[in-house]
Amino acid sequence: MPAGSIEEPVITLENVSVFFSKKKLLGPLTVVKAVDSVSLQVGNGEIVGLVGESGSGKTTLGRTAIGLQRSTSGRILFTQDGTSVDVGAATGREWRSLRKHLQIIFQDPFSSIDPNMRVFDALRIPLQAQGVKDKKKIQVMVTRVFESVGLSTDVLWDYVFQLSGGQRQRVSIARVLLLNPAFIVADEAVSMLDVSLKGDILNIMRKIADELDVGILFITHEMAVAKIIADRIAVMYLGNLVELGPANEVVAKPLHPYTQALLQASPTIDPSLRDTIRTINIKGEIPNSTAFPSGCRFHPRCPFAMERCTNEVPGMREVERGHYVS
Amino acid sequence: MILSVRDLTVYFSSPRGEVKAVDGVDLDVAEGEIVGLAGESGCGKTTLSLAITRLIYPPGHVVSGQVNFEGRDILQVSINDFRVGYRWKKIAMVFQGSMNGFTPVFTVGDQIKEVLEIHEYQGDADSRTRELMKMVELDPTIAGRYPHELSGGQKQRAFIAMALAMDPPFLIADEPTTALDVVTQVSIMNLLKRLRKDRQISILIITHDLALLSEIVDRAYILYAGRMAEFGTAEEIFQDPKHPYTKGLIASIPTLKTTRIEGIAGFMPDLANQPPGCKFSSRCPYAMEICRKDEPQLKILQEGRRVACWLY
Repeated sequence: MPAGSIEEPVITLENVSVFFSKKKLLGPLTVVKAVDSVSLQVGNGEIVGLVGESGSGKTTLGRTAIGLQRSTSGRILFTQDGTSVDVGAATGREWRSLRKHLQIIFQDPFSSIDPNMRVFDALRIPLQAQGVKDKKKIQVMVTRVFESVGLSTDVLWDYVFQLSGGQRQRVSIARVLLLNPAFIVADEAVSMLDVSLKGDILNIMRKIADELDVGILFITHEMAVAKIIADRIAVMYLGNLVELGPANEVVAKPLHPYTQALLQASPTIDPSLRDTIRTINIKGEIPNSTAFPSGCRFHPRCPFAMERCTNEVPGMREVERGHYVS
Repeated sequence: MILSVRDLTVYFSSPRGEVKAVDGVDLDVAEGEIVGLAGESGCGKTTLSLAITRLIYPPGHVVSGQVNFEGRDILQVSINDFRVGYRWKKIAMVFQGSMNGFTPVFTVGDQIKEVLEIHEYQGDADSRTRELMKMVELDPTIAGRYPHELSGGQKQRAFIAMALAMDPPFLIADEPTTALDVVTQVSIMNLLKRLRKDRQISILIITHDLALLSEIVDRAYILYAGRMAEFGTAEEIFQDPKHPYTKGLIASIPTLKTTRIEGIAGFMPDLANQPPGCKFSSRCPYAMEICRKDEPQLKILQEGRRVACWLY
């Protein structure tokens, strides 16, 4: 069994790699290894927090998980009622019916919904694409979904541009829920929102996972947010998963030096730190993903780097039950 | 006080009426002090900083108030004198998204040198540029690179270097770390802390990120819908918040210790068409009858600690 196997997965990524090749005019061909041999499962009703810095490949992984990005190698399996479908290989009719089950919520609610549409239309069009045409029926569905995301049906006939950021993000969640998906990728879904709204949206997402049994891959750069919402946390660095485990354990007993650094960088509410220069056990910045360091990709920034780290690539090891580190 | 803003009011004219973006706000920054100004998007915090740097353009206009800088009301200074005598030299700004503020077609060093030239820097611009790069902990060779060759954190540092070009005693940093990675955020905050320690520079940090603010500021101001809700020392604001809005904001900060964050229900009122009474009353869990009728004024709780709430 691969690292991190769980009993009832809705999505299974098996050694998924996504490479982008870039040909510069007159230059050599460069290959960006955005995701490199990642295996990860998300269960029904489970929220997995995917944490990493920008450039770590977490968005690419999320897009690949729902088939929006073709993988270079590896398999993505969607499992429902005991049968599995290969997401990467689906085409035509099969692909269209898959789309309904695999949904995504984007970071920026200001660019993910057409501002010149009425809210009702923004919700109606995806439903129609999936074959629901009866307006009455749509209205009943919308009313039900609006309740669960905390929106008043008064805004249905407003234009999207009239809504605030928090309202828009609720609309984009509602739009996704209308299709009754089994798996949702939430890509930095609360990063753009004001602090006063974050809590609400996080609580809505938790409720969706618990009540509708939806699996959620919650992509974020904030460890604290992942800890609050996720059941398990996966930490990504330069296209690799470096740590995977139950959220509380990863936060309380981080194993990988990179996870430790991310935790050290997490904000606290502590005015006594005013004159302290906070130290983080990490050097420099994330390197360009075209030229990887040899051995462990993290070794140039790692405070504990040994000679071995420059030569050997560490594999995933299960240190405690369900808690893996690379 | 290096900066003392008094009763500043800035409106924006719109077809729906005057939008009261900043409404009768006082704010002080002492020499060598780091002060935070916090609030949600749309509360008027950026407008306040633009008013201090005289960058309010129509349809916005300063209705009343004073911005006293080193004892002189800079709103009364002619715009040309302000440009020559204050901007960059005395008051420098690092704007929201300023890492995208560099022109892509010139090197970072050339853009810093341009600031030095325009402000008639006496001395060698090249060595000053190198010195500035060192000051923000960047390798001086980075000055020879184009903005797209730098990472977000490096660009932000380079922009801070440019802001420091004329050795200003006062720096305004508007969302200096938004859009940066957590690790980079900490290093930028460390940089600002060092600048204050080594150069006694006064800093006004404007952000919606209260957690970040709590670890760096001496005092904090909380702005809501264009009005000052509360201010005090960092300890007072973050460990013993009085205003229900501040309490809600602090309870909403995700940290590793919290297991659930609550958030504040509802939305900020329309600033062009404000309801009577306290602006926060529609979202406040403690709202009483008087809150919906009369607007509370800032009440002195202690020296240097005020709150605008009928509970006190």
